[in-house]
Amino acid sequence: MQRPVSSLGLSPSVKVKLVNSGLQFTADLLHLKPLQLSKDTGLSQQEALEVLQAVKTDGGGDEARGGRVPASLTALELLQQEEEMRSIVTFSSQLDAALGGGIPVGKSTEICGVPGVGKTQLCLQLSVDVQVPQSFGGVGGQVIYIDTEGSFLVQRVIDMATAAVKHCSLLVEDDEQRVAMTTFTIENILSNIFLVRCHDYVELLAELHLLPDFLSDHPKSRLLVIDSVACLFRQFDDLSLRTRLLHSLTQQLIAMATRHHIAVVITNQMTTRLRGSHSQLVPAFGESWGHAPTIRLLLQWAGSRRMVAIYKSPCQMDATIQYQITSEGFRDADQPEQSQSKRPRTHTDQ
Amino acid sequence: MVVLREGMCPGLDENVVRDLRAADIKTVEDLVSSDIEELALKCSLSYKTLFAIRRVLLAQHAAFPVSGADLYEELLSSTAILSTGNPSLDKLLDSGLYTGEITELSGGPGSGKSQVCFGVAVHVSYHLKQSVIYIDTTGGLTASRLLQMLQTETSNTEEQMEALQRIHIFRLFDVFSLLDCLYSLRSGRLQQASVGGGSVKAVIVDSVSAVISPVLGGKQNEGMSLMIQVAGALKTMAKDFNVAVLVTNHVTRSDNGEVRPGLGVSWSHIPRTRVLLERVEGAGSVSCSSFRSATLIKSSRQVLPMALILMPSAVLIPSEEFC
Repeated sequence: MQRPVSSLGLSPSVKVKLVNSGLQFTADLLHLKPLQLSKDTGLSQQEALEVLQAVKTDGGGDEARGGRVPASLTALELLQQEEEMRSIVTFSSQLDAALGGGIPVGKSTEICGVPGVGKTQLCLQLSVDVQVPQSFGGVGGQVIYIDTEGSFLVQRVIDMATAAVKHCSLLVEDDEQRVAMTTFTIENILSNIFLVRCHDYVELLAELHLLPDFLSDHPKSRLLVIDSVACLFRQFDDLSLRTRLLHSLTQQLIAMATRHHIAVVITNQMTTRLRGSHSQLVPAFGESWGHAPTIRLLLQWAGSRRMVAIYKSPCQMDATIQYQITSEGFRDADQPEQSQSKRPRTHTDQ
Repeated sequence: MVVLREGMCPGLDENVVRDLRAADIKTVEDLVSSDIEELALKCSLSYKTLFAIRRVLLAQHAAFPVSGADLYEELLSSTAILSTGNPSLDKLLDSGLYTGEITELSGGPGSGKSQVCFGVAVHVSYHLKQSVIYIDTTGGLTASRLLQMLQTETSNTEEQMEALQRIHIFRLFDVFSLLDCLYSLRSGRLQQASVGGGSVKAVIVDSVSAVISPVLGGKQNEGMSLMIQVAGALKTMAKDFNVAVLVTNHVTRSDNGEVRPGLGVSWSHIPRTRVLLERVEGAGSVSCSSFRSATLIKSSRQVLPMALILMPSAVLIPSEEFC
């Protein structure tokens, strides 16, 4: 089976030159030397070398030549991988249960909601929660927090960290946990959060190109937060360019999540869609962006109560859960703040 | 535009190729379209040799007609129809996914495209005991969900594990890796994947729009070319290896608010059968509804438009698989 040259990941001008010289299939290129190729096609020697390398890694469509083999795994292996990766708890036991343990590592999650409903609070909460030591059933990882709205408040993080440290210190049972508690302090929590402030979309795209290197240097990173994507892309004149940029951003994020085993959490704003006479609040960026996140959470008001709905998830049922934002952070709604009697329920989740 | 090379056909040896090159005849196309008599004079080759070479080259590069009767016989012997595991969806598709064809599922976020793909993968691997290739480009594939679906079919752990092993997963996130993967599958990996038991009967790409839409549009038309390359690779794979190809596509909203499959008109010619999945929405709010509807929007077998078929959200409910 022959592979056309035009399907290789080369620059369009190189491909045009190759095809114009009658070299249509990778098999035509296999026996050529770089010098000869550059003479035949008018490519520079450097380009010719690149072409031949691309063909070689592909194996000219011929398995026997040791072509590049994209990694494949069976569903069983994937299942084992999934079981090794833990989820990041949200500190709301009902939401954790509905999500099957929390925000999954290795997937992307979008949090949509109207202003003030608690999107940023949930992001901050997750930045603290991801650091819960493994002996407490946490992930024990670091966070990269890309802030585009300037809404990252250190004071809130300290509040939440204090509550999380206190919560864990009440749970200490064995030596391992006691040792883990010595490093699970407010200072350490703060030093494990890497904050990046992006002012426009170019900065964000540039940052995302650099992130894979950063992730390789910090292998303990388990969470990437972008709060928010919407704010950078909403004033955009060229809509088709915006769609394309958003799509490639999505693919970059999900590739990173898969390769580096991190959870990607992005927030999105809501917009009004008019349909005939009635209007509806929907997440911004329209229908095609909706495919981007693997899991989509909708935060919304129901009267004075805050509700979170799982709108899209490949492995969980749709569900709606009530929550509240307390001084300690994101919590179940029906859990009285000081009541000790109800505490054990959240404990079992930790 | 294939370059003339020695040994391509009898009579075309090194000297002939050199002589032809001197006369500025480099490709098969050049040779076939040139005047043989003139050429014979020009490069002092015999008319007879050139004529013979041309005949062989024409025969090599031409397609053969196949009679309808042979085609029908082949169809009867090699086409299989794979059930999706969901009776109402099967009915919509005229009893299931046909091998040798591309079937497309499109729908908005959370409309159940991936769930149907999971269902097909599980059904083919568990009930039909055949291998499945699942190309995941959105990171949406969750093995625990596959296991959940299997658990409703059987409680035998060993059978569950066997079925999971028959599902081969590729996780690719850009169009070039997808092309690399498709070509390498075509050139022999497909048969290798079958070693584990059962031949590959289904190739699922979830979703094809996720990798194509980042390159589509703008001033460059390379994106369009890559899209057609992907389509061509999928089509030949479906035909040559007799597998059913199932792809998913996103949706866009036209100006009057109507939902239609993404990737534009060019892509709409690629799949043989298209199904649009939608949430049945509660009026006026984004509130979740537990029903999904499937509408057949393109088919060469069924009368269109096929009535809406409601799929209870059982597709999404772990405990009652596909009712």
